[in-house]
Amino acid sequence: MSEYSFDSAADEVSNSMHPGADANGSRWRRAGSVALGGALVAFGLRRRSLGGTAIALVGGFLTYRSLSGYLTDAGGTEPVERSITIGESPDELSDLARDPETLERIVGHFAEVSEIDDDRSRWSAGGPLARELSWEMRIAVDEPGERLRWETVADDSSGALFDSWSLSFDEAPGDRGTEVTLEVRFDPPGGTAGSAAVERLDVVPESLIGTALDRFKSLAETGQIPTTENRPSERGRGDFL
Amino acid sequence: MQALTWHGEKDVRISEVPRPEIVEPTDAIVEITATAICGSDLHLYNDRMPGMREGDVLGHEPMGEVIEVGDEVESLEPGDRVVVPFTISCGSCWFCEEDLYSLCDNSNPNAEMARKMMGQSPAGLFGYSHLLGGYAGGQAEYLRVPYADVGPIKIESDIPDEQVLFLSDIFPTGYMAAENADIEPEDTVAVWGCGPVGQFAIQSAWMLGANEVVAIDRVPERLEMASQHGDATTINYEHADVYDRLMELTGGRGPDRCIDAVGTEAHGTGLDGISDRVKEGAKLQDDRPYVLREAIKCCRKGGTLSVPGVYLGRANIPFGPLMNKALTVKTGQTHMQRYLDPLLGKIEEGEIDPSFIISHQVGLEDGPEMYQTFNDKEDDCIKVVMTP
Repeated sequence: MSEYSFDSAADEVSNSMHPGADANGSRWRRAGSVALGGALVAFGLRRRSLGGTAIALVGGFLTYRSLSGYLTDAGGTEPVERSITIGESPDELSDLARDPETLERIVGHFAEVSEIDDDRSRWSAGGPLARELSWEMRIAVDEPGERLRWETVADDSSGALFDSWSLSFDEAPGDRGTEVTLEVRFDPPGGTAGSAAVERLDVVPESLIGTALDRFKSLAETGQIPTTENRPSERGRGDFL
Repeated sequence: MQALTWHGEKDVRISEVPRPEIVEPTDAIVEITATAICGSDLHLYNDRMPGMREGDVLGHEPMGEVIEVGDEVESLEPGDRVVVPFTISCGSCWFCEEDLYSLCDNSNPNAEMARKMMGQSPAGLFGYSHLLGGYAGGQAEYLRVPYADVGPIKIESDIPDEQVLFLSDIFPTGYMAAENADIEPEDTVAVWGCGPVGQFAIQSAWMLGANEVVAIDRVPERLEMASQHGDATTINYEHADVYDRLMELTGGRGPDRCIDAVGTEAHGTGLDGISDRVKEGAKLQDDRPYVLREAIKCCRKGGTLSVPGVYLGRANIPFGPLMNKALTVKTGQTHMQRYLDPLLGKIEEGEIDPSFIISHQVGLEDGPEMYQTFNDKEDDCIKVVMTP
């Protein structure tokens, strides 16, 4: 990666996502961030590298976020929400989601989760998103077939990426199964490590939870999460993205 | 193992890459015995499809022998001879259950990336960019096939590879193009592009009951094939005005059903063709939709426009004429699994021998040279089949 690192892209993004009170200025900033977002998607996809893909995701997110008017001064504290339709019943899906092993698998693209007991789990973020972040989450709401909510336990952990992780289950029309909504509140309990993590994550939370939902759906419908692990290429075997 | 790999614009190489392995219990490993270069591989060759990385293994028209299966594979076992369709489908999601296999919800590991570009992600494809899955392709000695119970079709007769290989993509793609055209008995069907998909669309239009088929291209050997094997009336667009000629052939009505078997890289003529290249150069559009515009203009009012040709992004097309002429447009990557059994039946019963399309048969190591020959339409090249 050259000057267009993930970090420099993230810097540009966070600057343009916090417009001032002036409505006119805000509109221009929004137009600018749509243009920048589009350019980043195009540029990133041309780069064909992990960095390039990250830039494309950042760009796509920026475009989406600008167009959807999701611009607030609150920054990382707004909850991010996404829905997906899964061809199973609400009861089956909430049972599956309740299983700690499921959680481990559906967040595997950014975090490792290990079970502490039936209600508690320890999360640690990995990969390019954050270093050495570890926190505990506890099931706070458990209504089978309706909703499940994990909340971060305030303790002496080294920082959390989010405050809560909530799933709700609603029957979809026809034979389509269940509309599953994931809402994540990126609001760490404090500490520099936590804030730094959110700042870095700020650019891609939509993608992060979108992928988590994709993985949950695939697991529920096919028993596996699609992978190109071990894929042969001239670069060797098993690189991602 | 040996494989053809992508390295940028007009740069395909034969490379040594690791052999694929079983990753999921529903995988199979296929030793490739025949594999083809597709016209849509040329969009990769010309670096028009985003999301490719240097060293990616190409190819999505393979067949071969199953040498290994995962624990949960039920319908295949080592020794089976199979054709592998180019779309990867889970078989379990709503779209697969509705027979819309190329829209599978679960087979693209990079669905989020595709969603950013398109709103929703279609199925993963073999050897066709990271946007559509990032799966290694089949222009190689071995291929990992995910969801092996859903994709590959077993060939149980001793019919040669050359006759069944094109079940992997272009025969079903041409057939679905004709099916999407909603052909009725009195219909004149116009097919733009006489490459392999166009040739199969022509043959399929007859199978589905067309009254007349008109084929449009500029490459003499393709037009010759359309006329000889496809019994089509031909128009060489470099020598005749396509609109005028089609109106002449249809008493001014226009063809009832129009099939665009060209896609993004159309070679337009005149000012319209130049304008496409300028807009493309200025990044105002991602495609050169010359054929789409021409088909909209020519199509009979209330007719159908079927688009098997691959488009990549933004294309500037005249939506006003499309709406005012009340045209129906049907598109899509091929829902492969829907067509495998019935079309294998047609081949085995002798209704069609798809091998007529093959112009070149070479070893895999000649692949890089063949990409260039095929791209440049040299040496009467229509379809290349390679043997690893």
